[in-house]
Parts: sequence; structure tokens; C-alpha cells
Amino acid sequence: MKKEITFRLNRKDYTIEVDPGARMIDVLRDQLNLRGTKEGCGVGECGACTVVIDGKAVTSCLVSAAQMDGRDIMTVEGLSETEIGSILQKCFIQYGAVQCGYCTPGMLMSAYALLLHNDNPTREEIRDAIAGNLCRCTGYVQILDSIEKARDEYLAKA
Amino acid sequence: MRYKDYYSPNSLKEAEQLLKELDGPVTLLAGGTDIMVYAREDDRYQDHHIINIYGLPELQGIELKDDCIRIGAGVTHSEIEQSPIIQKYATVLADGCRTVGSLQIRNHATLAGNICNASPAADSLAPLAVLDAKVEVLRDGEMVLMPLYDVIVKPYRTSLSDRDLVTAVIVRRLPEDEITCFYKLGRRKALAISRMTITYVAHKADDGTVDDFNITAGAIFPRPMTFPDINEKLLGKKPDETILEDVARALGNKIPEITGIRKSTAYKQPVCSNLAARILKEKLLEV
Repeated sequence: MKKEITFRLNRKDYTIEVDPGARMIDVLRDQLNLRGTKEGCGVGECGACTVVIDGKAVTSCLVSAAQMDGRDIMTVEGLSETEIGSILQKCFIQYGAVQCGYCTPGMLMSAYALLLHNDNPTREEIRDAIAGNLCRCTGYVQILDSIEKARDEYLAKA
Repeated sequence: MRYKDYYSPNSLKEAEQLLKELDGPVTLLAGGTDIMVYAREDDRYQDHHIINIYGLPELQGIELKDDCIRIGAGVTHSEIEQSPIIQKYATVLADGCRTVGSLQIRNHATLAGNICNASPAADSLAPLAVLDAKVEVLRDGEMVLMPLYDVIVKPYRTSLSDRDLVTAVIVRRLPEDEITCFYKLGRRKALAISRMTITYVAHKADDGTVDDFNITAGAIFPRPMTFPDINEKLLGKKPDETILEDVARALGNKIPEITGIRKSTAYKQPVCSNLAARILKEKLLEV
């Protein structure tokens, strides 16, 4: 079964045909060839597939394709076009938040969703925001540091 | 996900119409954070008509009424957590919803979905039980109000048919000076499936006696329940250590009484009593 859906993705408008019951992550990766979004567990525990829908972080492995209809979506591919996103990406690289890199897109999206609504989060609030993202390499310290640096840089600019 | 047909109605009316007209099993899809996981395990939905009710405008919103709060079935855990109405008049539900899954799941998953999935470990259920929650169901064109206890009959089973559509959850509106507590015991801080939760609401009159009290535990009993016989122990009295320990012991004793003696009882019963005693004393003893 195919259904036409319309949505905004990374600041561009899309109208495509999808299997409405497919998983959003499969639509992104296989249909739109946006492979930055990673699949880890597939059951919403690891956060690797996190995308931002209408300003909120969501695990795209648990979203049905029909639920993308009419929404405003941001994935890691669109991040460099945004001010918060590009600062986050730069800080992740500069302060060693990336080791194997598999969790990185999800981490960036959770951090981006946090800074969208709260431009001056505490370390505790940052911890809460990425509590749904697993990283087995870094031990999280470098990731928390990088998001703090990005926050400071974003605040200084604003 | 394999399914027979997939519909995304634009209004509650359209959804109602579909429920009436379709033949064969129907699965209503809200956030889908449980269904999308089940669909990976097997093809249990392959003969089902999927009706995606996520985002239906009639199912949104949290309304404050004179003596209750009406929470639309499409309201997510995050919206409840952040709602000023819930924070003020049903704090314990905001606290329960805050510990569900991860932020990403809370942003997408609905409270009504948590009820319909009926996991005994669902963190919203114990707070809903102490708030005397009722479930508003659209059944054969009529709105029916059912106590939560009658909706969830046992783990992962509800009394709802596949043609019933939950439209709202209605909870008590508590006074602003109500004392409430939600405690979760899990294996780690975030993303943990509860081993046990303990929840209570209590209110003290001007003379220090308790004039409202309701306590229960989550992830322990097969369905969300409260215990008038336990509440009686504290109602009308000034809380002291002996009474609170008696209440806590009585809550622990419900475990073998209701679920029978299992291997885990040796752990759960004392842990439940001790935790309950601790959190009751923390907030109810005069300092």
C-alpha cells in the first residue's frame, strides 16, 4: 500500500509516496538516501536514530511513516545549515565527543532539540536531554563538555 | 510493519466511521512506541486494519474542571510532564510520566497508549490509580466512563474491544497543598523498566489530621489498584511513626495476598514495606 505524504525535511518541502506503516528511519535511509540517521536497537532504547520533529527529539525507529505527514523534520543532514547545529558539530569535533561515531548523529539531534528550547541549559539539563542516547565509547564526559562549549558559544553569539 | 490496510483519518468522526464500517480486526495506532516494537517481533498485525489516530485534534489538550482534570487521549507524556495544570493539581502524574522511557519516547508516546498497552510496569498507572482515574471511551457512538481498574484486567489485557476508542483520561484535581510522592526503583537512572514504584497522595487538615490518603505500588500488581483498608489506617489520624510503618507493612503484605507467594516475594515484600515507610515518613512526619 502506498500513500502520498507531504512534509518539511531539513528546510525543504517534500511530497513522496510511502508505505504508511513503514518505519520513519527506513523512509529516511532507504527511500530518501539520508543515511546519517543510524539504527542501533530498533526499539527506542539507544537513541541512535533520534531526529527532531516539530522541535522535539523523537526516535525515528518508532515513528510510522504516515506520522511524518504535515510535520517539520530535521535530521543530522540538515544540521550544518542551522546556527545551533553547526556550532554543535564544530564543538563535537573540537572537544573529542566523537569516537566510533555511531551515536553521534543521535547525540547531536538531542542536543540540538535541547538548545532550540533552552539556550542556557545546566549540565544537569544536558544530562537529562541525552539520557535517551547511549554511547559505549566516550563515557559521555566529552559529549557533555562539547554541548556545554556549544551552549557557551551560541550564547556569546546571540 | 505488515498490515491489511492503513488509514489516517482527519477527525474523530472519520475515525468513528471507519471503526463502524471496517470488517475484521482493527488496531488503533497512537504514538505507536509499543506497536512498532511488537510489529518487529512477528506479523501479528498482518490481518489488521491500522487506524492512525495520532494528532487527531479532538484528542489533544489538558482541561482543568471544577473537581477533575481531563487529559485528551492524544496527549504525550512530555506534554503532561510540562503542563502547568498537571504540575499544580496532579503533580504525582507529572512525576510518573517523567520516568517513562526516554525523552524521545515521552515526546511521542501518549498516556492513553500507555493505558491500552496495559504493561504492569507502566509508570503512569500507579499515579493514575491514586488519582482515581477514569477512562473516557467512545463505544458504539456513545461516550462511556470507565474506572481504570475496570479497563486494565490483567497484564497486557484490557476490557476494551478493538472498536473502542479511548478519547480521554480523567483524574482527580488535588488541592494545591496536597502532599504527593512518586518513587521509582529501577536498575539504572534513565530508560529503566520499573522494578517497583510507590505512589501516594495525602492531605492534612488544619489540625494536622490526614483527611485524604491514597497509596499504591506499581509494577507489582496485575492491574492498577488501590486499597481502602490501608488508607483507613491513616485517615482521620495525625501521622506518627507507628501508624506510617503500619501502613507501609500493610502495603507490602498486599504482594503475597494478591499475587501469591513467588520467588520474588522474598525481595519485593520487604523492599516495598521499607521504601513505603521511608517515603511516607519523609513527607508526612512533622519536622
